[in-house]
Amino acid sequence: MTQGAEEPPDGGAPLTLSSGERAVLSALRSLTAAAIEEEELAESLALSKESVRGSLQRLKSKRLAVVDEESIPERSLTARGVAALSSGLPERRLLRAVESAGGTLAASELEGEAWSGEERSAAIGILRRLGYLAEGLPFRFLPTAPAVSERLPAERALEGVGHGEVPDPKEFDSLKKRGLVKLENRRLKRWSASSEGRELPLATEGAESLGALTAELLRTGGWRTASFRPYDVRAAVPFLSGARPHPYRAWLREFEEILVGLGFEQAEGPLLETEFWNSDALFMPQEHPARSIHDVLSVSGVTAHPPPEGLLERVRAAHEGRALPGETEPISPGWGSPYDVEVARRPVLRSQTTAVSARFLAKRPKAPFRMYCLDRNFRRDAVDATHGVEFGQCEGVLGQEGTTIRELIGMFRALAEAIGIRELKIRPSYFPFTEPSIEGYVRHPRLGWIEVFPGGLFRPEVLRPLGVDVPVAAWGIGVTRLAMLALGANDLRELYTDDLGRLAGARE
Amino acid sequence: MLSYGRVQSMLAHPLERSELEALLFASKAELSGLEGDELTIEVTPDRLDLLSEGGLGLYLQGRTGAAHGVPALTGTPASDPPMTIVADASVSRRRPYIAAVALTAPTGEGLDAGLLAEGIRFQELLHATVGADRRLASLGIYPYDRLRPPIHYRLEPIGAIRFTPLGAEKETSAEEFFSTHPMAARYGEMGREGGLALTLRDRERRVLSLPPVLNSREGGEARVGDRALLLESTGTLKARVKDALSLLSLVFVARGWRLTAVPVSGSHGPDTGESLVSLRRLHLPAATVAQVGGAGYSAASIEHELSRARLSASPEAHGWSVAVPPWRPDLLSGVDLAEEVVLSRGLRAEDGLIPPSSTRGRRLPERRFADRFSELFRGLGFAELYTPVLVSETSTLRTGRSSAIALRNPVSDQFAYLRDRLFVSLTTVLEHNLRTGYPQRFAEVGPVVVPDTSADTGAATRQHAGAVIASEGAGFADAAALLDFLLRDQGVAAVREPVEIPRTIPGRAARVKLAGEVVGELGELSPELLAELGVPVPAVWAELNLTALWPLLRRGESR
Repeated sequence: MTQGAEEPPDGGAPLTLSSGERAVLSALRSLTAAAIEEEELAESLALSKESVRGSLQRLKSKRLAVVDEESIPERSLTARGVAALSSGLPERRLLRAVESAGGTLAASELEGEAWSGEERSAAIGILRRLGYLAEGLPFRFLPTAPAVSERLPAERALEGVGHGEVPDPKEFDSLKKRGLVKLENRRLKRWSASSEGRELPLATEGAESLGALTAELLRTGGWRTASFRPYDVRAAVPFLSGARPHPYRAWLREFEEILVGLGFEQAEGPLLETEFWNSDALFMPQEHPARSIHDVLSVSGVTAHPPPEGLLERVRAAHEGRALPGETEPISPGWGSPYDVEVARRPVLRSQTTAVSARFLAKRPKAPFRMYCLDRNFRRDAVDATHGVEFGQCEGVLGQEGTTIRELIGMFRALAEAIGIRELKIRPSYFPFTEPSIEGYVRHPRLGWIEVFPGGLFRPEVLRPLGVDVPVAAWGIGVTRLAMLALGANDLRELYTDDLGRLAGARE
Repeated sequence: MLSYGRVQSMLAHPLERSELEALLFASKAELSGLEGDELTIEVTPDRLDLLSEGGLGLYLQGRTGAAHGVPALTGTPASDPPMTIVADASVSRRRPYIAAVALTAPTGEGLDAGLLAEGIRFQELLHATVGADRRLASLGIYPYDRLRPPIHYRLEPIGAIRFTPLGAEKETSAEEFFSTHPMAARYGEMGREGGLALTLRDRERRVLSLPPVLNSREGGEARVGDRALLLESTGTLKARVKDALSLLSLVFVARGWRLTAVPVSGSHGPDTGESLVSLRRLHLPAATVAQVGGAGYSAASIEHELSRARLSASPEAHGWSVAVPPWRPDLLSGVDLAEEVVLSRGLRAEDGLIPPSSTRGRRLPERRFADRFSELFRGLGFAELYTPVLVSETSTLRTGRSSAIALRNPVSDQFAYLRDRLFVSLTTVLEHNLRTGYPQRFAEVGPVVVPDTSADTGAATRQHAGAVIASEGAGFADAAALLDFLLRDQGVAAVREPVEIPRTIPGRAARVKLAGEVVGELGELSPELLAELGVPVPAVWAELNLTALWPLLRRGESR
């Protein structure tokens, strides 16, 4: 595209207009109407809409054109609405089914129908509300039911929307909730020349300069005899969105890198665990409230194998307060209750990544070691903004001679500083498998002091049955909570978002 | 809710709220609220003693220097003849364990209304916690001086029992009590066996209580002014019976009451009851405090801190003998005592030490392998997902063939199955994005769980990589090309075999084999499935089992 220089009437710096801009401005100046839409203008100039839109935007940024914007509501069918229009609404299909069955239809006969449970429930509710179907099962027409051939209100409304009519607002809202129609506001833009635009003397053709550099210009060398039109570098550009790393997953990767940098190696374990690894090996008493069916998720139809015999015997001895096989003194009095092997082999969804630590220590008891596991766990929580059935935890163990609670606190400080947290304070806590047990609190600018780092030194009743003979510092950080803080999420569910628009950065 | 006034009365001087808050933060308790005299605190599960006014008072005495060491436990026996309990063999079938202690008020004092209310409040708290809602242990408080020993604990015919329930005005039959009383409705089953019910009766055959349900007014109503009490606990777990009783006795011992043992005879053999009224001795090895808390603890400081923690240490060979009162069942061994020392001194963030590392950090090679697929998906413009492993019943069943493991106690239908393929989650993502424009391209690399009898847990956790393309014109070739690309990046080419996969178009689904092993699946989603989901454009899906693929490709471990 070429352009020429225009002299503003106020004697200011010359304006450069492309030929397209000149054409559009000329058209705006010669309008008989007050203003014109982009499409209409493009048609009258026989130019593409994109090119006219670009010219209009540039003229606006040069204060030569002005735009009046208006919002026009537009009602239309969704893809589901279009499908329903051709194949019938669920309530129409149900009506037909009951009619075909002679007025009475067993619920089981609907099982094969290709509609979702939600659709079916909605259809039943609507037909009962409209006085077609009686309450209860099987489905049967009320004696007072209207004729099946009558158009249903929703059908009339759906057809109306399809024909561009304005339907009854109540019916429209109902269809909208069902995802059959949509209401969008179309932005109507009407353009006209500004007073500056009307007064600007337009240069004559010939003083050309280049717009986009094209392959053609490069091939012919045409660019050598022309100059390039300067762009308005502040002008709006197209909104770009695309594939990006998932924010939560990306944050987890960064956190892992910190741990790897501190000398920790990764371990993992099964999501479906046995109570042996999830609790027994961690010296949690078998009647511990946190192990009840109200707190831990269990499964049907899965049979686990008994734990390894030798290890089972050692863990059992620790629970029952007996000396480990081959030793003379018990580690402690234990829990004062009998140990049940059947409980030990029950499969449960892993409730803490500490189970992975137990497996790791049983396999690799010799120091020194540093292990982390950053993975999912499950608990029987009602879902809300801060609780989920599934949650992430970062398990860590540090085993070497001389490890004390001070090394654990040091690790908390290192991790806090690595993620930009400067203020940390420590207080006592309790976990059945660590002694001492502590919690690290960090100061959040908005939420104040919050608990982030729980940990402690594994108890001898955990370590000795597993064959570990050095002190082991351990923690299970609630990374989901940390990630929420880091990512500014107010709701845990935002971390698991599958909204493709948000993931692509097209909306927040 | 505790009375802060009553707690303060145990201290040498009143505490400001901020002082209290700081002292509690350094303990295993936390201040939840202080409105007027009403004090609410939360504690960790191992320190229920701090939830009693007496236990909290003892702790604060130690921290503020008002008192130290273990308070005196025992005193003159409450009465003559001494109290004893006889447990009949019949109880072993239903609720076998019983234990009791006697308590005597300080000279010139008796039970006041505040202490009685605190005893009842803490009793109920212990029922709910240590007693697991009375199933494992329950407690009773009795007016010692109005009982005639021995006390008999037995199962007896319900028809033979008449008593006046606590809080009632007139005597009633046990039949009526069990059929009408709200406490019997809640706990009655624990104290009954067919036509029999558990009773505690004294020598004069007065019913003291129907454990674990309710006391009687005849012998089971402690009143203001009583100078001696009997505390009793029955249950199904011996350790919990003793723990509950010891914790309840703390309420009174902290106020200067003194304990006397109550022997129990019966089918479990005689028990002098001495362990409930005497100090336990635990050995604290000399090196343990340094092993737990680091250097800097002298012998004198260790003894001092234990004393502030309301314990008492005396030197013995290779360490200390530490006297532990009965209400501290959380102290099991030397490490627990070391924790008392370390916590008593206090923990500060600045005490942290970063130990030099002699280990090499690294991610698991198979996880790095899986990450490679995430990178490739992103490079191809697929949105990266992180969806839950737990999926709904609807989404699981809708995808047809399924070996998905069902939860026995799901919180809701939304999280009812462990997904066995990413396909289940990916189709849900399609359904959630009906108002997002097309084309849609998204992928996830994540875990699935499948039954596996060879795994020790009966199920295997596998890593899968799955993707969906939904767009006008999407077809089988797009999914096949995607898998070819992913595998080509690993330097291998797999073979596609036709296969029927439910909810895909017949003849447009395949499984992918490498070295004879199935490592993936792909197909075009059936129009029926698309209609159910409400998706208006064609969609294809491809999924690789990375756990199966990894051993076949691990020669490239470092890529």
